[in-house]
Amino acid sequence: MRRTRRVRAAAGPRPGRAACGAVAGTCAAVLLAACGSSAGAGAQSAGKPPGHGPTVKIMARSLPAVGTVLVTSRGYALYMFGPDNHRSVTCTGVCAGTWPPVKLPAGGSLAAGPGVSASLLGSDPDPDGGRVVTYDGWPLYTYTGDIDPGQATGQDIDLNGGDWYVLRPSGQPLIPSP
Amino acid sequence: MLLAGGGLAVGAAGTGAAWALTGDSGSSAAAPDPESPETPESPPAPSAVVPPDDDLMREHGVLKRVLLCYREMTSQAQAGGSLNAQHLHDAALVIHDFIEGFHEGLEEGFVFPRLRQAGQVTGTVSTLLLQHARGRVLTQFILAHATAPEVASAGTRGELTAAMQAFVRMYEPHEAREDTVVFPAFRQLLSPQELADLGQHFADLEHQQFGRDEFTAMVGRVAAIEQALGIYDLAQFTPDVTAYEPAQ
Repeated sequence: MRRTRRVRAAAGPRPGRAACGAVAGTCAAVLLAACGSSAGAGAQSAGKPPGHGPTVKIMARSLPAVGTVLVTSRGYALYMFGPDNHRSVTCTGVCAGTWPPVKLPAGGSLAAGPGVSASLLGSDPDPDGGRVVTYDGWPLYTYTGDIDPGQATGQDIDLNGGDWYVLRPSGQPLIPSP
Repeated sequence: MLLAGGGLAVGAAGTGAAWALTGDSGSSAAAPDPESPETPESPPAPSAVVPPDDDLMREHGVLKRVLLCYREMTSQAQAGGSLNAQHLHDAALVIHDFIEGFHEGLEEGFVFPRLRQAGQVTGTVSTLLLQHARGRVLTQFILAHATAPEVASAGTRGELTAAMQAFVRMYEPHEAREDTVVFPAFRQLLSPQELADLGQHFADLEHQQFGRDEFTAMVGRVAAIEQALGIYDLAQFTPDVTAYEPAQ
């Protein structure tokens, strides 16, 4: 079967997309999925003052078909969303049901695993509440279609108003050549 | 109008979330003429909040009608007829925008996490999630190749009909299992107040994402495709049972 082309190129946010500030609990599962032990071997400080909450650790791992990309501490692929445009969380409401953002708990801290740049880690406010972990300005999301760690089934999918790509440890999205 | 209740714990971590209630879930859809074949029927405007599982099953009705369109297009193409790229694209776009971009997000964000948290039908939920992902791959393929030049190619036509067949084969049991097993299990986990609150929240999300009459518009889009394919008239599917009637 041939490789599928993207449906739309870098679509912007769909007008009227759900901005669901009330759905505070939707993405809680992902928050836990991204939290790793701060005592993990090789972990680097993210250059932020230590918090009192759990540490969210971003790792790098080589996955089939996509190579070395960012993953959660449990090995789930992390994605960026085109309409976020390097600066803000726009996948909210129903979108966040399919693409749960990696949440930074209040009082939590960030850690970079081997090969991940601590200086590129940060967080942005989530319109649904709390904060979302960012990498080189890209808010990070997981995908509900990745049933097991080590998958990247959401790579190069056009859904919820834009395109989704995994990220290299350099911060570059893995955008296939046309 | 519903008033905010005690909030509904959703998500695997059970975070309490108070649903934003606007209290206005009515639709201003104009009354259709259901007898006119030129005017596809529209669903009546809801007068009360639809429970979340009922809402999801109503959306399954849209999915089911697109599956019928896929089946008809596949049959026509395999019988030597043409495959209309525009009809195929329109049908796949309904799936992409409404089913995959909205309906499945509700299931993935609100229904499945709650079931997993409760340890119920977890194996089924994993399969359903995988099928959502596989369905999106098929839809992306269909949308990318449903163009007039490409459907003119026998090879592409074969790939498109195979993709439609795979989609139909997967989603018929998928939605049936959700309607008969998954949604009833979900409903049992919620109190009446939680059901009412979540139903209102679903309605709010639909209005925020699509506007107030989007469900009606989606039904109209599917009906237009059915008309173009010649499968809109429900009466044509009523069988002649003369041969089965008891002898007089």
